[in-house]
Amino acid sequence: MTQSEEQKERSYSSTRRDFLRALLGVGGAAAALASMDRLMANPEAILEAINRATGDQATAVADFPFALDPTDPPDVLLRMQIELHRALQKRPEERRWVMVIDLRKCVGCHACTIACVAENRLPPGVVYRPVLEQEVGTFPNVTRTFLPKPCMQCDNPPCVPVCPVTATYTNEEGVVVVDYDQCIGCRACMTACPYASRTFDFGIQYVDNTPMGNGTLLGQSGVAPMELLPVFEYGRSRERVPHHSPIGNVRKCHFCLHRIKEGMLPACTLTCIGRATLFGDANDPESLVAEMIASPNVMRLKEELGTEPRVYYLV
Amino acid sequence: MSNPTSINQPEQCGLSRRDFLKLSAATAGSAAVLGAIPIAQKLLAAAEHAPAYALADPANQINTVCLQCNTGCGIKVKMLDGVAAKIDGNPYSPWTLAPHLDYNLPITQTAKVEGALCPKGQAGLQTAYDPYRIMRVLKRKKGTKRGAGQWETISFEQAIEEVVNGGDLFGEGHVDGFKDVYALRDGEVFAKMGAAVKAIWAEKDAAKKQALVEAFKQEFADHLEAMIDPDHPDLGPKNNQFAFVWGRMKKGREDLVHRFMQESFGSINMNGHTTVCQGSLYFTGRAMSAKWNPATGTFDSGDKFYWQGDVAHSEFVIFVGANMFESNYGPPLRVPQITQGVVNRGMKYAVLDPRLSKAAAKAWRWVPVKPGEDGAFAMGMIRWILEHERYNAAYLAIANKAAADAAGEPNYSNVTWLVKIRDGVPGKLLRASEVGLVTAVATTDAEGKAITVYETADGTRFASDVPVVLVDGKPTPIDPVAADAAPIRGDLFVDQTLEGIAVKSGLQLVKESAETHTIAEWAEIAGAREADILVLAQEFTAHGRKAVADLHRGASQHTNGFYTILAWYTLNLLIGNFDYVGGMVKATTYNRMGTKKGQPFDVAKMTNGNNIAFGLDALRTKVAYEKTTLLNGYPTKRPWFPLATDVYQEDVPSFGDGYPYPIKILMAYMSALAYALPAAHKVIEILADPKKIPLIITSDIMVGETSTYADYIFPDLTYLERWELHGSHPSVAYKVENVRQPAISLPGWPTTKVFGEEIPVCFEAVFLTIAEKLNLPAFGPDGFGRGIPFTRPEDFYLKQVANIAFGEKEDGSDAVPEADDTEVTLFRQARRFLPKTVYDYDRWRQAVGDESLWRRVIYVLNRGGRYQSRTQAFKGAKVANAYGRLINLYQEKTATSINTITGKPYIGYPVYVPPGLAADGQPVRDEGYDLTLLTYKEITMAKARGIADYWLLAVLPENFILMNASDAARLGLKTDDRVKITSASNPDGVWDLQNGTKKPMIGKVRVVEGIRPGVISFPLGWGHYASGAQDITIDGQNIQGDPRRATGIHANAAMRVDPVIGNVTLSDLAGGSAVFYDSKVKVEKV
Repeated sequence: MTQSEEQKERSYSSTRRDFLRALLGVGGAAAALASMDRLMANPEAILEAINRATGDQATAVADFPFALDPTDPPDVLLRMQIELHRALQKRPEERRWVMVIDLRKCVGCHACTIACVAENRLPPGVVYRPVLEQEVGTFPNVTRTFLPKPCMQCDNPPCVPVCPVTATYTNEEGVVVVDYDQCIGCRACMTACPYASRTFDFGIQYVDNTPMGNGTLLGQSGVAPMELLPVFEYGRSRERVPHHSPIGNVRKCHFCLHRIKEGMLPACTLTCIGRATLFGDANDPESLVAEMIASPNVMRLKEELGTEPRVYYLV
Repeated sequence: MSNPTSINQPEQCGLSRRDFLKLSAATAGSAAVLGAIPIAQKLLAAAEHAPAYALADPANQINTVCLQCNTGCGIKVKMLDGVAAKIDGNPYSPWTLAPHLDYNLPITQTAKVEGALCPKGQAGLQTAYDPYRIMRVLKRKKGTKRGAGQWETISFEQAIEEVVNGGDLFGEGHVDGFKDVYALRDGEVFAKMGAAVKAIWAEKDAAKKQALVEAFKQEFADHLEAMIDPDHPDLGPKNNQFAFVWGRMKKGREDLVHRFMQESFGSINMNGHTTVCQGSLYFTGRAMSAKWNPATGTFDSGDKFYWQGDVAHSEFVIFVGANMFESNYGPPLRVPQITQGVVNRGMKYAVLDPRLSKAAAKAWRWVPVKPGEDGAFAMGMIRWILEHERYNAAYLAIANKAAADAAGEPNYSNVTWLVKIRDGVPGKLLRASEVGLVTAVATTDAEGKAITVYETADGTRFASDVPVVLVDGKPTPIDPVAADAAPIRGDLFVDQTLEGIAVKSGLQLVKESAETHTIAEWAEIAGAREADILVLAQEFTAHGRKAVADLHRGASQHTNGFYTILAWYTLNLLIGNFDYVGGMVKATTYNRMGTKKGQPFDVAKMTNGNNIAFGLDALRTKVAYEKTTLLNGYPTKRPWFPLATDVYQEDVPSFGDGYPYPIKILMAYMSALAYALPAAHKVIEILADPKKIPLIITSDIMVGETSTYADYIFPDLTYLERWELHGSHPSVAYKVENVRQPAISLPGWPTTKVFGEEIPVCFEAVFLTIAEKLNLPAFGPDGFGRGIPFTRPEDFYLKQVANIAFGEKEDGSDAVPEADDTEVTLFRQARRFLPKTVYDYDRWRQAVGDESLWRRVIYVLNRGGRYQSRTQAFKGAKVANAYGRLINLYQEKTATSINTITGKPYIGYPVYVPPGLAADGQPVRDEGYDLTLLTYKEITMAKARGIADYWLLAVLPENFILMNASDAARLGLKTDDRVKITSASNPDGVWDLQNGTKKPMIGKVRVVEGIRPGVISFPLGWGHYASGAQDITIDGQNIQGDPRRATGIHANAAMRVDPVIGNVTLSDLAGGSAVFYDSKVKVEKV
């Protein structure tokens, strides 16, 4: 390979551009800007900016890229992703994101816990998606139950009004978010949440107290490229460095808004090996979640508090 | 090695992500006029602070294969500037998405589609990016003992020099190197000697055998110094004194090792770890799949494999000792089949397991069976099914392939074949000549060679003396395998005398086995309720062929594993569910070795010469004791294994005893011998003694437990950085091959030069460099034949991938499509951060050659493997990739193989055998040790190497000892009490590390209801004494262990040492299993 080919190969911008141009082609507002190569280097972010300006993410995601065999029912993961694409064609306020967790299918594997940690690069002590476990009964009539417990994304969230700096609020899609740049880390919201769904980022790393790299062992320095990868939460890339957000912030589940925007399911949903976690737009009557929350065995946690959770359980 | 501080990395590695993005922007473009549009200005400002979600870009993704456990899920590694950032499921792989994506979908369209992956798979990032990974060769410090944890770094080149040349390496006297062990070096002599040894083994007459030995010594007088023992030429050459032992190695790497060991260096000793996993499952499968040889009238060896249930389509499943939600093969693949099966399809399942596993917790029925008594439960079910005639009689009657074809059945069994009974003991199958159905006729074959055929009165000819069945009471010879033979349906139950010979059908023998106890008695033995047997038997026979009993290591890792598995497979056979959708299926893979006509690379045959290994293997598995020159009565010093191979627990103790011969060099790869084996403290005793094994080298990613006792540790790449062909698993009905390939490379990873090529220091580098030093055939510039180099790892692996891409049709019609230009571009872009030493486009293409074929290789690599579509894998009620041949309920080979400790033959059909027997067949009675110790796996922990994954440790930082509340009350224990585990063979309850440290087996109790009283269990993977758990010293510098890696208990050293053999765990001598579940222990509060 020649040097110039090598260069080309190492720069992923050309294909990336084609790929993104195709995406852009769908949206009218974005198309007007599509000729500007400098912008093309990073058009997704531009789209986001556009969306922020117009309050409309409808142009962000094209139709699902391929058709499925109608005679072969797809994995629910694919069905939900297609429904997600459909929902993203609507205005944000027209869709109602909900999560449905079928406890009959939850096997307590913690894939969701780890997927969330990996996707959002959560440090020790920060957990968005714990799975609780309990044994019930007496030998030999005994069973074990598993309860994944993300943020309930309450329609009436007790955590929001207590924030002294309005850093946490319900966004236009109904997801309770944290503005890391506003959050002062007072942790009032943690106390207010009846579901214990918020944790604090103390700035520690998983490899703290392991050997430093010295050419013989990989060590912390060798691990740093992975350990210090940026956080993509809320569609924004942040290097997790001392004295900067999200260190010193309260952090919580946000339904992986940054993935949703890309037409991808929340990490916990995508990786649910039991296919217990379902996600989608409850306002779409054809959606899986709309179908499921009409089941007779549906329930929500602590309904008596009037928090109106957007996370439903099937029992 | 190049200067250890020199760093092999792509240019961009020095850049920050932000720099890189800027660079991308610059190369993207022409000078755009921006400032003119105010809104655009604002947008750009926003964009710089909010870069795209780069992980969704196909140029940042490589599909490859997980190795966090052995399941081999397809994974999509998503990268940011060449750093692995997130691992999800590869949606082309049926392991993580069901149904998996259409294989022909372009990767541009699937970049945002992912499959579901278990927590271990996702935490694999931390296996690659582990602070404790070693990057330089470590040598045991001179003057320190094995296990002392004192290391010195040494260059890769120097280390190879030392292990090749030997010498006084540790100040303990001379150590032989590879050059000494590579004693026989002439390929022609290898071939001749190999044939001569075969002839010695084939000779039945003792005197003539001895004469052949003398003839051997004369013929090869010039080479006798190269033999281990000239008086026993069947031990083979000294080359056999190099033993390679592996823990987790898959095809590709295994093929490479095979090429090195058995075709080049010329050692017969390469042994896997099968028996520490589910050996008896494999070797019962092998016995049941023995192939009738129509020419000889005997059985050829079956396949080392096993069946599992196609539970995605079953209506009823019994899981026996199968931990479906936490381990097995494996959660991403099988969990959704079960959870969705139960909730969406109304599938029911039962679980036999003394512990309430997560799967048992959700089961229709949980049967907390007594450990090791699963076979008794099966016998009860068999009895009920036979008594109530709930078996598939039409299927079972089919006695040969012709009848199976006529009935439209995919396979057939030998349950109707007649077995000769002598003194009440079933032995060989009846042959037609013995009851006058055929007579031997001397004739000539097509080439004029004199042969004997067997002819019936009506003139039907058979090439050999064939088996017999009764057809409506009439003795009838059968041609088992010929498609054009007379279709024969036999009588199921036969117990009579023919021409003075007592005979029974195989099914009759099973019936008699099951009738040795009433169902109530079977239930009592199994520790279950009679109703459990009745209800399960009823349900099992109420779903046609869509019921299945799915078995795993919980059933097989007992001393009676072989017979327990056989009994449960018999249940499957009774309902005829083999090769049926929702029944028993098997793994099928694409031909990687290129042995099919038309395939591009017949890899094994492409060579510039070879030394084909021969002789007795050190584990005594590949030839019967009675055939060898070592035959000298019973018992033998250590057991022989006529029915099993890769008997992992026998490796180190056999080398320690020097039986059948001493081993001079042991190389262990991904092999936690000193940790994962039951009674592994005995392994440590031997490993720690250089007099027993003079040179130990390991290939490892960290200083693991086995490496702790090594003399040299060679650093290896992790599964995210290297090649392998992962193959498939038994429950996958699709034809597949999972291709593991380099996705990342760590900055600063060292390289070495071999055959003039610069390659990463890794496992393959060790073999290639030794091959270069010793000038071994089949490696080097002409390794694949004149002008076709084998000088880099990918020279080998890419040829295998090319075979997979080409497929198995001579005309190429089975080939995958060529990658188009877009896919080629993405292929290159996704690898732009790999250093040239790992990935060089042109060099890779050269390894394949033909451009069209190369593009097909890219097509496969872009998809992480090759996967058949759903429509191709299922044909109506049957599976397309069928087993499709004889299933041996009665096993003549088993029945004629001798247990060399008792001197008696093995039993060749399903019988009840109690668990917990020593090698001599006598029960082990450990009075005063009142609890049975079991192990299991938690999904967040891989057995020996999961301790590096801190995300997972955060979920479950420490393991515990599960104990039933009634036992806890009796012993005065509560949750979190610390207890010590002791046993009769380890009364102190310690790991004696042979370095002055005795690590007590102390852990915390967790009191639960969900375990059978009298049984305790702990999850494997904690309680490490190496792998970053303890301090070590490298070049005089202390490397601190991480307390997180040292938590919990590992109680394998409490597992019972076989009282007869003395330095090894209890074993299933038939099925080979290392026994995890038959040990009695005591717990004491500390």
